[in-house]
Amino acid sequence: MKTAKTLGRAIAATTFGLSLSAGAFAGEVNIGFTGPLSGGAALYGENTLSGLRMAAEEINAAGGFDLNGEKTTINLVALDDRYSPAQAATNAKRLKQESNVPAIFIPHSGGTFALQDFNEKDDFLVMAYTSVPTVTEKGNSLTLRIPPTFDGYVHAFTDYALENLGTTLGMAGATHEYAKIWGSMIEKEWTSKGGKVVANNPMDYNKSADFFTGVSRIIAENPDVMFVGGASEPTGLVVQQARQMGFQGGFIVMDQAKIDEVANVAGGLEMVEGAVGVVPLSVYETEEAKSFLKRYEEKYGKTPGSEAAYNYLALHGLVAAMDATESTDPKVLRGAIGEALKNMDSSKNPYAVTDVTEKGGFVTNTTLAVVKDGKIVREAIK
Amino acid sequence: MNLFFQQIINGLTLGSIYGLVALGLTLVYGILHVPNFAHGALYMVGAFMSYFFMVDLGVHYWVAMAGSAGVIAVLAILCERLVFHPLRNSPPIHDKIAAIGILLFLEAVVQMFWGSDFRRMTSPFTGIMNFDGLIIPEQRLLIIVAAFVLVFVLQMFLRKTMTGATIIAMAQSREGAFLVGIDANRVAMMTFAISGALAAIAATLYAPINLVYPAMGHLVIMKAFVIIILGGMGSIPGAIVGGMIIGFAEAFGGFYISTAYKDIIAFGLLVLILSARPQGLFAKGAH
Repeated sequence: MKTAKTLGRAIAATTFGLSLSAGAFAGEVNIGFTGPLSGGAALYGENTLSGLRMAAEEINAAGGFDLNGEKTTINLVALDDRYSPAQAATNAKRLKQESNVPAIFIPHSGGTFALQDFNEKDDFLVMAYTSVPTVTEKGNSLTLRIPPTFDGYVHAFTDYALENLGTTLGMAGATHEYAKIWGSMIEKEWTSKGGKVVANNPMDYNKSADFFTGVSRIIAENPDVMFVGGASEPTGLVVQQARQMGFQGGFIVMDQAKIDEVANVAGGLEMVEGAVGVVPLSVYETEEAKSFLKRYEEKYGKTPGSEAAYNYLALHGLVAAMDATESTDPKVLRGAIGEALKNMDSSKNPYAVTDVTEKGGFVTNTTLAVVKDGKIVREAIK
Repeated sequence: MNLFFQQIINGLTLGSIYGLVALGLTLVYGILHVPNFAHGALYMVGAFMSYFFMVDLGVHYWVAMAGSAGVIAVLAILCERLVFHPLRNSPPIHDKIAAIGILLFLEAVVQMFWGSDFRRMTSPFTGIMNFDGLIIPEQRLLIIVAAFVLVFVLQMFLRKTMTGATIIAMAQSREGAFLVGIDANRVAMMTFAISGALAAIAATLYAPINLVYPAMGHLVIMKAFVIIILGGMGSIPGAIVGGMIIGFAEAFGGFYISTAYKDIIAFGLLVLILSARPQGLFAKGAH
């Protein structure tokens, strides 16, 4: 009995100690993250987090930044939400209460919307890694959208495909919320510009065991172009199975999937010949992108995707804003981050973000990538 | 007409994989009388083992499959010895909780060693056969053939050998089996070993046309549970027929109606069949 009591006390003492240690020490700022770290989307969450970690470690390795005359370091607090908006909201409440974070990074639209319900009241910045336009259109005063919105891609991909690939489209997109919005927008765009949608058969990329049936239904209608896209890896399977069944046309790849990753799964770039999609970071020719690529590869031993790069630059921008304003107040940071990004060292800014719109979107120069003769080529958007 | 045959091939491929996984699940249910939620995790570890043997040790596909089947059989026996056996006199809910525990444990271990990356496993059967427009990739044909062979071998083992007969006896009546002197421990371990090996083989067959990642078991295990409920819990023919029903429902429903509705079609069938036969297609005892 006595041992049990002592044990109980010991546990109580440790838990108390732990909960204390979660709070910020002087000279340290906590930054929150909630995203999928287990389950089917774990890879995506981990990639996002890897970019944030890299930025935090760089800042800390340089001795931190200056906050009101005190050297301050960054402490990243990451929680797993398994891609669930409800869990993301719980995590955000916890991050705010236990660690008093001024900003929370979140890599999915559902969770972003959940956080926007209370972030102004609870006073923290939502650093949203999602390209759904409504995230910033709603006018939440403490939201920053890190990647460009996808409507620009919808126009550009449609124009390119109609001009170069053919006029009939088979819709083989995914069924999750994001893919549905994308799908309906591209369908509208395609028909309004004179194209024809010959088959529409969305598939559950996350929960399907096999795509052969779904793809064969689309190929039966003989389209020139196929719209595909969910996470890169299942997209690769869809592409591979379409080619196996003799599909010769091109692909419009939704921006969630990256052409290089899709090609890895599908069995090489020749499988995705004629695809149009977002530009993988590895194709960027700029100095800042190459420098980031090299450092990331040295650190993690793999090629970074855009989720790592965008979140990396966003955290650097956030810290630069803290440094410039001597403040961790979310409202102040929100107002100052555009200027901070502009003045930031280019090695910290792989996508060369130069400004933030009034509604909170990062401004980047969007381009598109096409696969020609087995190579990914970057093209300007007209 | 080709498109119709194409769907038959698709249905057979899916049905074969589902059936193999459901077979292991139903065998264990017959002995343990508890759904083994960890079965999907065994399937997943099986795929990772084959991946490990093939990519890191560089052995041939068939050797990797055999090695993986062996490792998972041992792992399944360990689960039985270390977890389910000590719980044999506890209320059934304890087994269920323990099974979920094993599931989470195995997933976490795999994620720790391999990370959550999606991996691709190659097989030597990458060719594509084209019969006048009917397209059958070799790996898919292999899945169908292998599933039929395995089911046949398993049937032979259970029907024609004494050891196999003890498993059936145990499933039919525990007390009866004890009365005629069947060693319950031996039968339980053997059943777990067979179920683990089946899961590993199914995973190795399916992995080359799919992705290998820690959460890959979820998809298949959910289907497998539907199948054994549909076919009758603990029934071997039920698992095979159930697997084919779900496989064909997905292929034909997905093609002729919509892929978005294929799960509704499969679950709708489940509701229909269960309203007509609440005990499942092949009622218990029909082994």
